[in-house]
Amino acid sequence: MSIAVAKDSWEAQRRRAFLLGLAPSVIVLVAITLIPALALVITSFTPLSLTDPVGTFRFDDLLGNYRELMADPRFLGSVATQLKLSTASVLFQVLVGLGLALLLNGSSRILAAVRSVFLIPMIQPPIVVALIWKILYSPDVSPMHRALEAVGLPVRSLLANPDTALWAVAVADTWQWFPFTMLMVLAALNSMPADPIEAASLDGANRWQLFRYIILPYIRPILVVCALFRLIDSFKAFPLIYVLTNGGPGTVTEVTNYYSFVQAFNFSYWGYASAIATLMLAGVFALSWLVGRLDWTRHGRH
Amino acid sequence: MADISTAISSAPAKSPGKRLAVATTLPRSGVERIIEWVGSHARPLVALLLLVLVMSPFLWLVQLAFRPAAEMFEDNLLFTPTIEAFTSLLRGNFLRSFGNSLIVSTVSTGLSLALGVPAAYVLARWDFRGRRHVALWILVTRMAPPIAFTIPFYLAYRWLGLQDTITGLVIVYLTFNLAVVIWMMQTFFEAIPPTFEEAAWVDGGGIWQTFRLVTLPLAAPGLAATAVLCFIFSWNDFFYALILTRTNATTAPVEIVNFLQYEGWEWGKIAAGGTLVVLPVLIFGVVVRTWLIRGLSDGGLRE
Repeated sequence: MSIAVAKDSWEAQRRRAFLLGLAPSVIVLVAITLIPALALVITSFTPLSLTDPVGTFRFDDLLGNYRELMADPRFLGSVATQLKLSTASVLFQVLVGLGLALLLNGSSRILAAVRSVFLIPMIQPPIVVALIWKILYSPDVSPMHRALEAVGLPVRSLLANPDTALWAVAVADTWQWFPFTMLMVLAALNSMPADPIEAASLDGANRWQLFRYIILPYIRPILVVCALFRLIDSFKAFPLIYVLTNGGPGTVTEVTNYYSFVQAFNFSYWGYASAIATLMLAGVFALSWLVGRLDWTRHGRH
Repeated sequence: MADISTAISSAPAKSPGKRLAVATTLPRSGVERIIEWVGSHARPLVALLLLVLVMSPFLWLVQLAFRPAAEMFEDNLLFTPTIEAFTSLLRGNFLRSFGNSLIVSTVSTGLSLALGVPAAYVLARWDFRGRRHVALWILVTRMAPPIAFTIPFYLAYRWLGLQDTITGLVIVYLTFNLAVVIWMMQTFFEAIPPTFEEAAWVDGGGIWQTFRLVTLPLAAPGLAATAVLCFIFSWNDFFYALILTRTNATTAPVEIVNFLQYEGWEWGKIAAGGTLVVLPVLIFGVVVRTWLIRGLSDGGLRE
């Protein structure tokens, strides 16, 4: 009996200690994420703007901003631009990352050194990535443009050309983020058992067959997780657009995130910008939920 | 896409074939020996070639920073390097913004660790109801687009007088750093067998005393990896600092863009600023490379 009581109080003591450890984080997270998110959703129901400071507390037309959004060609265009940019850059970076991981997977010191250096684009400040590509895309200081000019193929700025601007941004984004997939795939390849590959090689499988039937099935879950992560993250792309194109030419590179920024911080249409941000938050929420489920099933299987 | 497929298939495929061919021919000329050497080292050679190609945009930025202003638009790579761009940069506001960046990143990292590490430990050890909801919430926080937080924070800071202050930035950076700490440290704590702690409890240690003396030292490498990542994430932020600061609390990334807007495209100064901002991250990368890689791969998978 007394043992049970002692155990009970130990359990209670433990729970109290755990609550004490968890509470500060939860309180801070509620204050800095949940409350702002709620405030954002509430603002999105109001016509709050600089010209209408009392609009914060007007709730006579809750879905007004959303209705307007659905009829706003610039918003719909920004969603299409976002999808185009995200698809292209995620596809490129997963392919490049996968290729480089396969090439650099090995124990040689040169390969290990190259692997480390390739992390630089990902860990350096995004603003520096933006500056680097601004330089590369500016004909007067760009080695690329000068080389093209030297061989008699002068090209005008890719960023000023509506046909190429979005691709130029996608290339810069790919350069910045291929290391993520590379790192993840390398980690997966590292943990891959060697037996199936050896067995298949003995059976005469060539390199492509090894990749197609043994390596690819093993790393496919990682590739899916990488693509989803990068897809979600690509909605945040800001410094590249801000420095390289400012959304232009016209609105060719204006992604949803950037359009929301323009509405809030250039035009001061807080309510309208909040509605855009709320929709983005909902999208991220849905995709995160998907990642959570994928991750969960992956762990469940092992 | 063509270069990728060749990088995967041709480089490794070449070497065994080459070796076979050479083994059958006995007398070898110098050229053949070179071909053989290239064949058997194809993979590292391709890797080094790609290294130069992929990193050349970065190197171009660095060389622009050291290039004399008069030769800015020339191609010669053999110029006398000058630090003029750096000195003119440091005469302006840049040094202060660099200091701001250091303060904000350090304080935010410390605060996130102080708050997040105990929480991560609890999530790793205590299977309470609603644990999965807390986990999902933290994941979404990590993933949320900054614009969603920026609008309410901007409006609240105007009212609270936190606009353009270091404190304001430190608080905002908690929105992503706290989630990073909780996610990453959770995996590190889960990797430590609870038996060590149970033994300490039997000896009469309290939960947090045991945590401090037994668990935390075992998780030290993970803690270091997490701290490095938090610092880099804070240091790299551009969006929050752009919107929530004006003149007093501007961080280095924002300051570069500021002088870009006020002084136009002065390539030398821009390149110098970019080089300086990248420097702490590179130093960190070299000093704590293994921890950083571990942090990036573990954090990436679990965050």
